[in-house]
Amino acid sequence: MQKLTDVEANDIQKKEMRLSKIKKREIWKTNLTAWLFLLPFVLLYLIFMVYPIVEGFIISLTTGGFGGDREFVGLSNYMTMLTDVYFWEALWNTVLFVLISTPSIVVLGLLMALLVNMGLKGTTFIRAAFFVPYMLSISVMASIFVFIFQPYTGLLNEILRSIGLIDGEIFWLGETALAWMSILIATLWWTVGFNMVLFLAGLQDISEEWYEAADMDGANAWQKFWHITLPSLRGVLTLVVILQSVASFKLFGQPWLMTGGGPGTSTRPLVQYIYELGFRNWNPGYASAVSYVLFLVMMIFAFIQYKLLIKKED
Amino acid sequence: MKNKVRSTRLPAYIAAYGLVAIMLIPIIWMFWVSFKPINSIVTVIGELLTPPYTMESYVRVQESSMIWRWTINSVIVGVIQTAGTLLLSSLAAFAISRIPFKGKTFIFLLILAGLMVPVEATIVPLYEMIVQLGWVNSYPALILPGIALPLGVLILKQFYDGIPNDLMEAAKIDGANLLRIWWSIFLPLSRTSMAALAIFIFVQSWNNFLWPLLVANDQSMMTLPVAIPTFQSSFTTDLTVPMAANVLASIPALIFFLIFQKQIIKGIAMTGIK
Repeated sequence: MQKLTDVEANDIQKKEMRLSKIKKREIWKTNLTAWLFLLPFVLLYLIFMVYPIVEGFIISLTTGGFGGDREFVGLSNYMTMLTDVYFWEALWNTVLFVLISTPSIVVLGLLMALLVNMGLKGTTFIRAAFFVPYMLSISVMASIFVFIFQPYTGLLNEILRSIGLIDGEIFWLGETALAWMSILIATLWWTVGFNMVLFLAGLQDISEEWYEAADMDGANAWQKFWHITLPSLRGVLTLVVILQSVASFKLFGQPWLMTGGGPGTSTRPLVQYIYELGFRNWNPGYASAVSYVLFLVMMIFAFIQYKLLIKKED
Repeated sequence: MKNKVRSTRLPAYIAAYGLVAIMLIPIIWMFWVSFKPINSIVTVIGELLTPPYTMESYVRVQESSMIWRWTINSVIVGVIQTAGTLLLSSLAAFAISRIPFKGKTFIFLLILAGLMVPVEATIVPLYEMIVQLGWVNSYPALILPGIALPLGVLILKQFYDGIPNDLMEAAKIDGANLLRIWWSIFLPLSRTSMAALAIFIFVQSWNNFLWPLLVANDQSMMTLPVAIPTFQSSFTTDLTVPMAANVLASIPALIFFLIFQKQIIKGIAMTGIK
């Protein structure tokens, strides 16, 4: 190999430097472009998501009204919560609703998906009927169900009376257990279609060959469901359980519009308690502290479910 | 053999159409009641099923409420929120999926973390911010906080990751810049994902309740979910006018559903499962 002269070596070095300069400028330009693409989203995200999370925690350490003039009180709001019976009641109400609504919606949603997937006559119509309540807004849904459940003029009591099941009045929204049942029924009616659609997508991904193989082995319908359908749906099941429990933790509109949290405060969930603390009692500090606890409880719940359901998969 | 199949299917038919009845009766009942004369007895089923029927409840709703204004508000909020979310999350997803830059992992994780945060947990600081901005009873207050939706970025990023690199390289050689590549390659290719996402966002926005309840307390700025209960609260015994209001509030969504049924169901399945 020929030895390079000093001049030549110098030349190459210069070229390399120029190249690396161009490269650097290029990298810088790419970085800038990327951030320009991200800017609108990230800006709104910082303002309306990141800042409120941080600010919410700071507010939770204070006492005083909205708009400034607040006093730092450390963790005192969190300490108050420990002995606040209304907080514990609301937390219990929320957890109770999560625990009863999630399994009901999973079972009913799966049943509906199986029925739609059977290829019965009028499948398109059946599917549409199962899904259509989800298109109504929460207020319309609640208004219909208040008129169905209310005593004296309600549809449900009228039907029960006309078939001779009762002869007086049942106060569906006036007794705690019945009020919860009414809220649950209304929620199921309203949202089960959404979950059915997710299950349906899962069912349609299961290969037909597995069922054919099971048929040849002489498996009955129940065995096919238990050994093929259910295991194949594990992913969708995890998803529905997590989505549904998150939605149930955020319960607000149904009790707010149907029972007002009553009778008394016996159907008041956490979000309603936060709303009332913040915007009825004008106590943003305490409301923020309760919000943080709600957030924390949801994270723990999601984490446990994730661990449990993912483990089963192995 | 055929008979056997049919006999096992009978319980399925009974279950399916029984459930159909349960799902549809409340909706049919809502329509039926709304056509009875104002203040008529609608609780005795016999009376409900016999004429007279009239449109007077609908006339009353239009005369004594701002139902069209509320519908328009809901449409404006829904459409802008949907379009804004699609545009912003598509730009962001493109950068995260296709442009190498410093801090990419950090930004992506920061956005993913947002999936875990419920709006319900941040209403106090959000509301205070809106008050300080002087935005109470305004469209920006109703629209802007919902636009930076982490789910949108996640779904579109996953889709963009699957687009072959050759397409992008070829466009680069032709001298197209990144904005052009995003606009003329990635956007058209992701039409199906975008449509699914759009339907999902619009339905959520249309039904959003807690946030508009906080920031819209002036009748003229209310969206349907907030305005309907406010309007109905003045009717204590009459059922016909509240039900007419329910029907009017539901008709846009029901028509939308009848036309785009297939797409809506597909959209929900796609967005949910990803």
